[in-house]
Amino acid sequence: MVVSTNPAGNVMESTGRLLDVDRITRSLDLATSLGATYAEIRLVSETTNSASLKDGKLERAIPGQEIGVTLRVLADGAWGVHSTSDISSISDQIESTTRLARAVAARHSSSSDAIALAEVPIIQDEMHWRSVKDVRDTDLDTRIEMMTAIDAEAKDDERIVATSTGWLDEHIQTELLTSEGMDRVWSFQRSLINGMVTAREGSDVVSYRMRNGGEGGLEVIEKADLGAMGREARLSAIRLLSAERAPSGKMPLVADRDLTGVYIHEALGHPCEADLVQAGDSCLEGKLGQKIGSDMVTVVDDPTMRGGYGCYPIDDEGVDTREKRLIVNGVLTEYLNHRETAHKFSLDPNGGARAQDGLHHPLVRMSNTVIKGGTHNDLDELIEDIEHGIYACGSRGGQVDTGRGSFQFAAQEAWLIENGSITRPVKDVSVSGMTLQILKDVDGLTKDSRLAAPGFCGKGQTVPVGDGGPLMRIREALVG
Amino acid sequence: MILIPDDAVERLLESCASIGAACEAAGISSWEVFANQGYGHSLDFEAGRISMASGGGDGGFGLRVVEDGRYGYAHLVDPRGAARAISEAIGIARRSPSIPGFELPASEESKSVGGMLDKRILDIGPEDLLNQGDQVLARVTELDSRAVAVGGGIGVGATAGAILTSNGIEDGGIFSSHGIGVHISIDEDDQLTSSYEGDSSRKLLEDPLSSVDKAIHWSQVTRDKVPGGETEDCPVLMTSDGFAPLFSMVVPTAVKGERMVRGESLWAGMLGQQVLAPHLSLVDDRRMEGGTSSGSRDGEGVPTTTRTLVDSGRLLDQIWSTRDAAQQVAEGRIDSAASTGSASRGGHTSPPGCGCGDMILSSSDRVMSRDGLIEEMGEGYVIHSVMGAHTANPTSGDFSVTTSTILRVEGGQVVGALSQAGFSGNMAKALNGRVILGNQRAKQGSYSSGSMHVPDVLLMDGLRVNPA
Repeated sequence: MVVSTNPAGNVMESTGRLLDVDRITRSLDLATSLGATYAEIRLVSETTNSASLKDGKLERAIPGQEIGVTLRVLADGAWGVHSTSDISSISDQIESTTRLARAVAARHSSSSDAIALAEVPIIQDEMHWRSVKDVRDTDLDTRIEMMTAIDAEAKDDERIVATSTGWLDEHIQTELLTSEGMDRVWSFQRSLINGMVTAREGSDVVSYRMRNGGEGGLEVIEKADLGAMGREARLSAIRLLSAERAPSGKMPLVADRDLTGVYIHEALGHPCEADLVQAGDSCLEGKLGQKIGSDMVTVVDDPTMRGGYGCYPIDDEGVDTREKRLIVNGVLTEYLNHRETAHKFSLDPNGGARAQDGLHHPLVRMSNTVIKGGTHNDLDELIEDIEHGIYACGSRGGQVDTGRGSFQFAAQEAWLIENGSITRPVKDVSVSGMTLQILKDVDGLTKDSRLAAPGFCGKGQTVPVGDGGPLMRIREALVG
Repeated sequence: MILIPDDAVERLLESCASIGAACEAAGISSWEVFANQGYGHSLDFEAGRISMASGGGDGGFGLRVVEDGRYGYAHLVDPRGAARAISEAIGIARRSPSIPGFELPASEESKSVGGMLDKRILDIGPEDLLNQGDQVLARVTELDSRAVAVGGGIGVGATAGAILTSNGIEDGGIFSSHGIGVHISIDEDDQLTSSYEGDSSRKLLEDPLSSVDKAIHWSQVTRDKVPGGETEDCPVLMTSDGFAPLFSMVVPTAVKGERMVRGESLWAGMLGQQVLAPHLSLVDDRRMEGGTSSGSRDGEGVPTTTRTLVDSGRLLDQIWSTRDAAQQVAEGRIDSAASTGSASRGGHTSPPGCGCGDMILSSSDRVMSRDGLIEEMGEGYVIHSVMGAHTANPTSGDFSVTTSTILRVEGGQVVGALSQAGFSGNMAKALNGRVILGNQRAKQGSYSSGSMHVPDVLLMDGLRVNPA
């Protein structure tokens, strides 16, 4: 193993340690003296500010400071975990957590069940991603002003009966100490603004929501065209009032960037998570190196894509992050992994371990997941030879059954495509399919690929993610 | 007790008092401190084994201050940080709009609700939980040698909660929980079927293995595939597992008074009118014995109630928190409104908002067994679980989801399973059409919108099934 100190040029000044390094080091030594093969203590402190307006008036503003610390012990090939918001007590849990791990291990029937970790460079450093405008310096008036900019445009129609806007900014600092000698501290920030409008006409009532944000401070929100966000949400909601119910059946589908992102997150990203592969719950088990998509499909997951909502500089096992090329020209080339699954599948650790906060243990998670661009110039080129299909925009979220390989995602609004033209608006469009089929059915991508609106991903724990890509055409999708 | 210190509530109340005293010292006369501290053990299943065991606890304090009808909120982990939290909360209050008539709730006597704590749970240690895990895995193998528990887990927990306000509300208690979730898959002959089932209770689960039995059953019955057929509008029998997530997305949101008067509810302007089929009733019970969303007081200390929201299909009532009621009256959207004891909290990090408790859907008409419902349906589908329930639109009631646990019914008999299908419709309209409820009411999980107690539901109109 390589031991390095402050290897990156990206090192900023320390923002102060909350863990007592000497005491924690002694505790980790105790764990190994009790027979643990590995032990770690990870502390996350979060300074957050959330706020919301309802109909343009301040509804709530919540400043918060939360701390969580998690001890993980690997003994006899099994994990024991203890999490608490009481930092001072964590060292007292070494013996009981080691015992817990051993009690789990005693139940494993074969040595193949034993968990081991892939080797990684042991690093001692600090890495702080500095924002241009630190969220901790942003005052409430500024937050209100930004949200008001959305609200003012969103409500400019008598059919808009309610508006709400929201704000969330976070400064997150993580400290990780391990029995292997890892001692890393890292921090970064995220900012998010969102809004929702409700439109009513007679008994018809619809809603539309929008979101913008990413890794960074106030500058992330300042770059957004907030007025346009409000205006587009209003216009979309008004359109939905008169939209017809979408047709059902199998038909060509063109997805905007938001939906392309959700599609690739649900249909491919989750089945690529190596902890699900290990659990026997992924349709991509045993398919590394195989062709699973059309030639034009190349997909990456990249936590270092600065500005994306799923960015992080170091993963929650202390592994440096990098771009992961999940599919290259239709061939499955890489799983997202953490140290446990990297060892299990004899892969290089690729920095995919993420925990929701200091009170949760790391799982294999996505970060910023995008499909690379294709060859089509624009939407017109994608739809010109579609006789009857759907152009779907904006995400209402999605879900996947990774084992079966089936997925679903829903659009906020959509249009019919008839004889190569976009015609009438339709509503309640959802799309479902099977991962191993629909990746082969991608038959058109525009050239320009970029991240779409930020999102959140739930897998027992919730983490922020970015996803996106170009506009995408699928030859045949199950709609409705 | 193993799980939680004997004096957990007393400790929380002492800390609440110290924060309250700091508020008084800072010249704030109207304050509320909410606290919780949770402890628990859990284990995870993966690839047919127990993969991890964990334990721990967390908690904190939420401070709400009110000044001239304006409120501010801040949360903290350590009471020693009270000065900062007070300063932030009062700063926000002074920047917030004043709501005439908004004050923190007055102290009123409340009656306790039973079944919140099962002391047997407090004595469950990690080794006991691992033994339960062993039983689950043994049961899987016993029922079907092909089946594997690929995910899920078991957990026990106890949470101490307390509230203390400047108006004299002082209350606290311990709430226990026991839960299981098990994700079973059968992968054989190039066909994988799976099912996730779970159960939770404030009491020690009487039969935690029943979730295994159910998951195995659905993993087995969905293996016998029949061709998908054409898209059709047809009756659908939703099991409580499939129905509850969609119901929880749409109905609890619709009964919030604030959303009704702001026009955001699909039932806005319909008070007194028929909104559900004439034989259906909907009760929001915040006083259900052992109810996972029940208790003697709501999230801001107001005594809880049991409210009939819909009776014989007619919308009779709506739910309010103190601030929502004052705000909508002050803004002239409604002549009068008051707290219905319906304030909910997501924990100490968020101020109280309005929400449902234990919500019960019932029928005064005939109810039927599952087999009876299938026979009554004649032609249609049984849908057990859906993907994408969270994408349902709570404002309109529209949903469009996907299911992989769907059975085809012909001539009143199940003839086989589809591999996958789209399923769409409008939940509110379907519940206002031809509906027959099953005769077994089941609690189907707790959601952010409350805990749903619903039976199997046969919905006859306005639903579309779109086989893959």
